[in-house]
Amino acid sequence: MDLARRMFMGQLARFAAGASLVPLATVAEAAINEQPPRRGGDPAKRYAMLIDLRRCIGCQACTVSCHLENDAPLGKFRTIVSQYEVDDPETGDMSTFFLPRLCNHCDNPPCVPVCPVQATYQQEDGIVVVDAERCVGCAYCVQACPYDARFINDKTQTADKCTFCTHRLEAGLLPACVESCVGGARIIGDLNDPESTISKMVAEHHGELKVLQPEKGTSPHVFYLGMDERFIDRPEAFASIWDIHGKDNKELHYEFSGH
Amino acid sequence: MNSAVIEILAPRYQIAWYPWAVQYFFMIALAYASLWLALPGLLGAARWKATARFAMLGAMTTAIVAPIALLADLHQPLRFWHFYAYFTPWSWMSIGSLMLPPFVFAIIALAWLVWREPMLAWRDRSDLFGMIARLVTLGSWQTPRFLVVTLALATAALSLGIAVYTGSEVAIVKGRPLWNTVWLLPFFATTGLIGAGGLVLLLSRIAGPRDPDTARNMLWVVSAAAVATAGVALMWVLEGLYVENSSVAAALRSVRHSAEWRTTSAWGLGVGTALTLGCLLLLWRKPQRGWSWIVGLVALHLAWMARWVVLMDVQTVQKQTAGYLEYTVGWGSSGWLGVVGTFGLWIALILVIDMLVPWRGALGGTAGDAPDTTPDYSAKGAASHG
Ligand code: SF4
Ligand code: SF4
Repeated sequence: MDLARRMFMGQLARFAAGASLVPLATVAEAAINEQPPRRGGDPAKRYAMLIDLRRCIGCQACTVSCHLENDAPLGKFRTIVSQYEVDDPETGDMSTFFLPRLCNHCDNPPCVPVCPVQATYQQEDGIVVVDAERCVGCAYCVQACPYDARFINDKTQTADKCTFCTHRLEAGLLPACVESCVGGARIIGDLNDPESTISKMVAEHHGELKVLQPEKGTSPHVFYLGMDERFIDRPEAFASIWDIHGKDNKELHYEFSGH
Repeated sequence: MNSAVIEILAPRYQIAWYPWAVQYFFMIALAYASLWLALPGLLGAARWKATARFAMLGAMTTAIVAPIALLADLHQPLRFWHFYAYFTPWSWMSIGSLMLPPFVFAIIALAWLVWREPMLAWRDRSDLFGMIARLVTLGSWQTPRFLVVTLALATAALSLGIAVYTGSEVAIVKGRPLWNTVWLLPFFATTGLIGAGGLVLLLSRIAGPRDPDTARNMLWVVSAAAVATAGVALMWVLEGLYVENSSVAAALRSVRHSAEWRTTSAWGLGVGTALTLGCLLLLWRKPQRGWSWIVGLVALHLAWMARWVVLMDVQTVQKQTAGYLEYTVGWGSSGWLGVVGTFGLWIALILVIDMLVPWRGALGGTAGDAPDTTPDYSAKGAASHG
């Protein structure tokens, strides 16, 4: 068992304790909404990403290179860096916090068992992918993902999401976002290989790594180093970008919001 | 907000399930709940026969329109056959796709069984109606009662499956905490009953003949279902107080920070209370029961709105970014056009059946028993619409 998995045992145990108070829900989920067997990919590997937030400068190079590499439609992103203004609890000064977001390639991905045609599935190497030829565009998986990592691609009318750039990994290349990251904040690798950079970093920073919304029991495999606790769940934030009003006092809409 | 956090940049996606989904969940709930209302009459309860006539018309028409709305909500509707080529027993939606066709066909078969009885009288006519009656009735044999009873019970069993799957499909979605509660299952069912009761009241007013038993039955059903819905909502909140329930917590957070959600909750509570009181008032004051159709309209509104709030409004609550999505329903086919289109199709279907089928004569009713009078029901129906 890898270190990363062990990290989440505590969280899973807590989640299970909570769920047992709602026995009916648990029964329904155990019977039907269960993880199907994984298929495809290298069974010897478990890909994961570690994002060293201390190194992220919020330049959006990853956002742009991913967009170009994967031909995402305007206004929709397989990865994007959220940006926040936060007050420093110690000094009281405002500072900027960058949070790169992407699919977490969860170990217990809620997007997978909901798919009615098995178009969304998890490879044996842990990467969650969509078969766009089979997808019926029901958007059930889009609803099921707690991280907004999925969207319906306007061009293909099917579900779309980050794939860790499997096509590049297979060709021995790094994902576009990792390749283009200016600060070297994104580290991808095989958790099953103790010699990989990510395994070493997970071992080194074991106690400090955080994942998003751990209480959902999804066991995400994108780990954040230097994470501000306030952003683990949906942040209690003031949505400034949506509150800019024009001369007619109407909210100015995001230019791609129609998509 | 004690720790000041300002979101400067974050993606915000549009909703993924369109108003088509509301139409599907509304229509399918009307279909199964109408069937439940027809059941006592189908099984022989004398004072429920008239109710069953109206309810079968409602069940049959909604059961046909519902799958069309469902198909339209897919982004790749032409790939619907993938559901059957790749059956996926662990997905609620896949299970539902397997249960839906038998349910729809069972309801159509049931309607055929009870409607072919009065249609037999039309077989001798020389006009178009006679021709259709000869085709549709498939012979002049009398419908055996055991067949109606057996099929009614089988369809009822299937309808339970539909009620469970439609509720579970939404309730298991952990990604949307507001949906993630078992109380959604009974909520869909009780609000479905409110809508079906309202539909029968409305049909009995505009499609007649008016029937005192039906009005009384339905006023009871609607008020009881409204009280049951309030009970379900109360249980949901109480559970939220005792169990660490993110569904209730998410609801409270939404209501606390959003004026729209406060208005919506107040409106739902207000309409629900008014509906219950209206039913009780009309039950108490018999001479005023002619107004029951208004109760019917309000009941339909409540059942539809319940689904709109659950399916559309909940999607505007962001999963991990701040604030709410500003969702405005567009005019295109994924917006109002879809809503109006489904309702238009439904009404057209009711009118066609009203014209071609002497459904008022089913289950011992009288209207269809006179083959010599030209039953121009469409004109009658249209006239009383206005
Ligand atoms: S982040 Fe979302 S899309 Fe990615 S595996 Fe987890 S649930 Fe699925
Ligand atoms: S949108 Fe496609 S991938 Fe997602 S659940 Fe539906 S069929 Fe599966």
